[in-house]
Parts: sequence; structure tokens; C-alpha cells
Amino acid sequence: MAEYVLEAQGLTKFYGSKPAVDHIDLKIPRGCVCGFVGRNGAGKTTAIKLMLGFLKPTAGSSRLLGCDSQNLTPAIRQRIGYAAEGHHLFRDATIGNLAGFHSAFFHKQLASAKQGEAGWDGKLFWDMIEYFGLSKKQKIKKLSNGQRAQVSLALTLAPNPELLIMDDPTLGLDAAIRRQFLEGMIELIMHQGRTILFSSHILGDIDRVADRIIVLDKGVIRANCTIEQFRTAVKKVRFVFGQSMPETVDIEGLLHSRRADKELEMVLVGTADEKIAEWAKSAGVEEYQIIKQNLEDQFIEYTAPIGQIRPFAWEAKQ
Amino acid sequence: MALWIQITPGSDEPIYLQIVEQVGETIAKGQLAVGDKLPAVRKLASELVINPNTVARAYTILEQTGLVTTKTGSGTFVANPALRSKDTVGINMLADRMDSLIVRGLNLGLESQDIIAMFKDRLEKFIKTRQGGRRKNG
Repeated sequence: MAEYVLEAQGLTKFYGSKPAVDHIDLKIPRGCVCGFVGRNGAGKTTAIKLMLGFLKPTAGSSRLLGCDSQNLTPAIRQRIGYAAEGHHLFRDATIGNLAGFHSAFFHKQLASAKQGEAGWDGKLFWDMIEYFGLSKKQKIKKLSNGQRAQVSLALTLAPNPELLIMDDPTLGLDAAIRRQFLEGMIELIMHQGRTILFSSHILGDIDRVADRIIVLDKGVIRANCTIEQFRTAVKKVRFVFGQSMPETVDIEGLLHSRRADKELEMVLVGTADEKIAEWAKSAGVEEYQIIKQNLEDQFIEYTAPIGQIRPFAWEAKQ
Repeated sequence: MALWIQITPGSDEPIYLQIVEQVGETIAKGQLAVGDKLPAVRKLASELVINPNTVARAYTILEQTGLVTTKTGSGTFVANPALRSKDTVGINMLADRMDSLIVRGLNLGLESQDIIAMFKDRLEKFIKTRQGGRRKNG
């Protein structure tokens, strides 16, 4: 069994002279749930397509379940679930047609699948369809966006994939359907050894279901760590000066700073609270405050295109 | 069970801390008594629609502070207060919270003795309701 279910080394894709994905190094251990975040155009979809072997990299390589992305065997592909952005399904098919079509690629019964093989769990599929209030004879083209996403999720989960990759699966879904979608993900997480990589713009959802966060910014991986490490590392601090502010700011981990009148606001990464206190004392700060932020605020500050930005990526120590 | 826990994802308070605080509050109010069982990690994760590791982390912290105790194979239970360890980090956090309450009180124009009296009054009321509500669901 591969220790890492997903590995990328120097994975790069150029479109013309512009890199969409720029030397990505990534290792995702088995059993973790990774939230893949980045602003629009950061390269998330390109990275996912490269890893699934749908695109050829300009340089570098990646492996899924220990197998090179460019040469994924059918046996390996069976163990990977993929939901493309937008949930594209055959419009003229019924839900029953799609179930028949998809299940034909797998062992008919989950029980008859040997170790390491994927099998179609028909009961799981129809239980989900029933739970979503859908039925066998409904045509895809008559479904709403939310219902199509639900069918897509059921199709992706029915083969009980070891590795599930979803590209912005909750895009455009209403709050109730999004919640059902997350419930489906949580149920999957409960199965031992299942790994999920999903991209999303909703940081609250990432906070809920993920245990790792991967931040992609302009094609570069800027963070790959546990949510808690990210939350502890990114700090916003406001300093108030009694008199003059120093001309230059020299503090470890400074990402960017904003000045206004007698106030200085800084976004710091990985700077210990003691270091902040030390700096404040040496710079003649009258008072300062570490501002509490949620994951979304931290992500916005972290990827903000202002001031000095130092590329930053760190691996979990463990 | 577990209906008493309400989490807010995307809040500035991490989810595991929200769980720690709410379980702590429920125990302080006597709604959960010594020996009562907490919901299983996977069950609570399902109900709250959050990663089970987050719940497990909250339970670990509750165990470290001595509020609950885990018996292998049978679950997590509210611990005997006599066995609770001194939680310095928790006490420091409490002091921080008191500071913010003091600031609010002073901004409202209250004098020191008003704030002290108010605190004493609330504390007495809290203890009373707690004794009244004790073992209600035990």
C-alpha cells in the first residue's frame, strides 16, 4: 500500500508562455481530507486534471495510488472517484440508465470484488438517490442543478473509491443541498483509509470537513498543512504608535503591512507571540492587538496581492 | 443527545474549541452530571457534519483538562470534579475574558464596586439554578 495516495514532483503546465501550474510538489497521506483552495484562476482545475492524467504536464510528474498519472491502469482508475466541476452527465439518460452505465465498469456486487478492487455498491447508490428524493425514471435534463450534483455524488461514491477527487463539487448549490453533500462526504470519511481531495471557495465548508488545507496561488503551492497549523500560523496584528513609526519593518515572518496615521497593521506567518511582543517593545509601540480571524479572513490576507509577498510553503512536521 | 451542541463553522473560534467550550458549559450548568456519557465521536461528527478528527481532538482536550474520562471500549464520561487537574491555559483564557467584560462594564459607566456586585449576583444565581437543574437528565 502506498504511504502517500497522491504525490507530485515539480508538476508544471504552461499555457503558451504562462505557467498555470508552476512546479508543484505535493504529498497527500492516506486517510486525510484535503481542502484545495485558491482564488479563481489559481490553477486548481489544471492541477487536478494533470494529476488524473487528463492533461500532459510540461514538466514534472505525479502519481496516484503509487501509479504514474500519465499511465493509470483501469484497475487503478476504478479505485479513484472523480467529480468534474459542473457535474456533467448525459442529458438524455435517466438516473437508472446512468447507474447501469457506470456500474458496468465495476464488479456488479461490492462483495464479489477482491481485495484492492473496486465494486459497485448498488444499495448505497439507490439509498442515496432515495435520500435525495429522486427516482430511477427521472431524466437528467429535467433535473435542477442541485439534483444533478446529487446524482453525480451518488455515481462517484457508489464504487466506494479509495481516493476521491472533486473539483468544486458544491459550486452553485443551495445551502440545504450543500449540507447534504457534506453529509455524504462525512459518511465516506468514516470508512477507514478513504482519502478526499476537494476544491472549494467556501472556507466554512473546508473548516467543517477537511483536516488539511492546500493553498494554491498563481500556480504555486503556498501552504500544505493541517487546518490548525494554518489557523495558528497566519496572524493579523494591529500596532498603535505613540509617536513616530519606524521607517522599515523588520520582523520574522512578515507577509505584508499597511500603514495608516499612527497605526500599523501586519500580516505575519509563523511568528511566535513572544517575537511580536519583543518587536513591539523595540519599535516603541504604545499598544498592540492580535486580531482574531476566521479561516476565510486568514485565506484572504494570506493570498492578498498587496505589498511584499514571500512565497511560503511548509509541510506538517509530523 | 448532542442537541445541546451547536457549532458555527467559519467562526473565528476553531470548531474543536467550540465543542470543548459547549461541553464544558453543559457540565458546569449541571445538565450533564458525573458519570453521564458523551455521544460517540463518530455519532457526533455525523450529527454536526464535521470531520470526526475534530470531535476526537475536542474530546482529547476535555480529557486533558480532566472534565471527562475515556474508558476504552465503552466511551467518554463526565469525570469526577475531585479528580480534575489544574488547567493553567484555561485559567489564563478565563482571565482574558474577564478583562473584556471589565472593559465593557467600565465603558457602560459602571464603577468597580458595581461590577463586583453584579458578578457576585450572577454567580449566586448560576449556582442556584445549577443545583436545581442537577441530575435532571441523569
